[in-house]
Amino acid sequence: MNRMAGDRDRDRVTVAVREVVGRILPALPPGELRGDRHLRDLGADSVDRVEIILAVLEHLDLDVSLARFSELPDIDALVDVLVMAGRTGG
Amino acid sequence: MDVGIESLNVYAGLARIGVRELLAGRGLDPDRQANLLMTSRSVGLPFEDPVTNAVNAAAPILAGLDPTDRAAIELLVTSTESGVDLSKSVASYVHDHLGLGRACRVLEVKQACYAATGAVQLAAGYLASGVSPGAKALVIATDVALVDARAGFAEPATGHGAVALLVSDRPRVLTLDLGAFGCHSYETLDSARPSPRFDIADVDRSLFTYLDCLTSSFAGYRDRVDGADFVTTFDQLAMHTPFAGLVRAAHRKMLREAGTSVDLVAADFERRVAPSLRLPAMVGNLCSGSVYLALASMLTHADVSAGARVGLYAYGSGCSAEFFSGLVDAGSARAVQAMGIPAYLAGRYELTFAEYTQLLADTADVLVPAEHRTVELGGYRKILERGRAGRPLLAHTGAKDYHRRYEWV
Repeated sequence: MNRMAGDRDRDRVTVAVREVVGRILPALPPGELRGDRHLRDLGADSVDRVEIILAVLEHLDLDVSLARFSELPDIDALVDVLVMAGRTGG
Repeated sequence: MDVGIESLNVYAGLARIGVRELLAGRGLDPDRQANLLMTSRSVGLPFEDPVTNAVNAAAPILAGLDPTDRAAIELLVTSTESGVDLSKSVASYVHDHLGLGRACRVLEVKQACYAATGAVQLAAGYLASGVSPGAKALVIATDVALVDARAGFAEPATGHGAVALLVSDRPRVLTLDLGAFGCHSYETLDSARPSPRFDIADVDRSLFTYLDCLTSSFAGYRDRVDGADFVTTFDQLAMHTPFAGLVRAAHRKMLREAGTSVDLVAADFERRVAPSLRLPAMVGNLCSGSVYLALASMLTHADVSAGARVGLYAYGSGCSAEFFSGLVDAGSARAVQAMGIPAYLAGRYELTFAEYTQLLADTADVLVPAEHRTVELGGYRKILERGRAGRPLLAHTGAKDYHRRYEWV
């Protein structure tokens, strides 16, 4: 995969994550959603985090073992896992 | 031969605290109650432990049996992650205080919140084998909570108590679909009790593992049952309920994977899942008894008078999971409702936050073996008198030479 295609994948996943997080955490100011933050730091409790992961997977039409999302240090890492899952088919 | 659950009873202590009161006391956001879907949690008293919880759950079942049927109980299994000794089982004390016969097999099993289901399935297989016609097995899931402020939002979701299940060839409560099951197990550390004083939990790993195992164990069920469909095969669902909000997320995930329109998810949840969550929301997570508290809730609040197939999901950290099923009918509802579980739960003493924190301090060592110890009813006698509703209850009174002592009060 060339670099431009990789950037497009990442952009598409990032947009999906932003859209879902904005829907599940409506009080969150858009500027707070940075790649170096953990969802926990944005006010997402454990159920919110489950809802966000499930909704992003649904949005992107991915079937991925949820265990892969257990140790994510920040939103950038979440996007990395989703991009990789999209390339490998889950 | 039909095999399954003949009787089911719940004992979830004598005291509770409202989740809103607890969140406020801890300085936690009360709006999070919406995700927990919990109203109160059961709280243990100093004279309650895994043995008393088990005996107090099972005694009403045994009281309804004639001597011949009591003598037919030839297997007693306690399922617990609240052991009181590394060698001597909770079951050994329970066997004594229930007055079961000496020809009974007695043992304890452990696999976090899954173990009772493993015991029920092994017992059902034994009974169905026909090697001892007319035999019964008593499986009791029994635990105490060790949570405090360190547990965060898990604290209000954690319960205390036991569920007793009499398994036999007269399955009035649930007739198991023998051979219809799917298991999924592998090693992980999502939650554990490394000491008799505290639990540890990796919350995200635990929730994601619960959800993955539901998908995988149902896939195993589908491999064994031609045409099984999560949406259409089961009239009702009863699942292990760490807190009701997780079950809601699990249901949504399964329907999405089944291709159900998102517009239909909420109505399906209300019809097939919500009845199973009402009693758990009043008690909290009962560990391996949780799925059977959900079953009792469903049989209390859903209309199964025309007969219904129920899908059950048990999950235990560590991890091991199973999806299985059975049949219920109007007689099932009558059998469970005769135990008076909702009225008993409503009668538990409601603690203030100050009483609650004192109680946590007074019960912190309940699982710690002691060479000598005396447990006094003390100021908790008023709660005992209020909650016992006139029936005898077993109380933990202490230990002598490491031998735990109990008395009927």
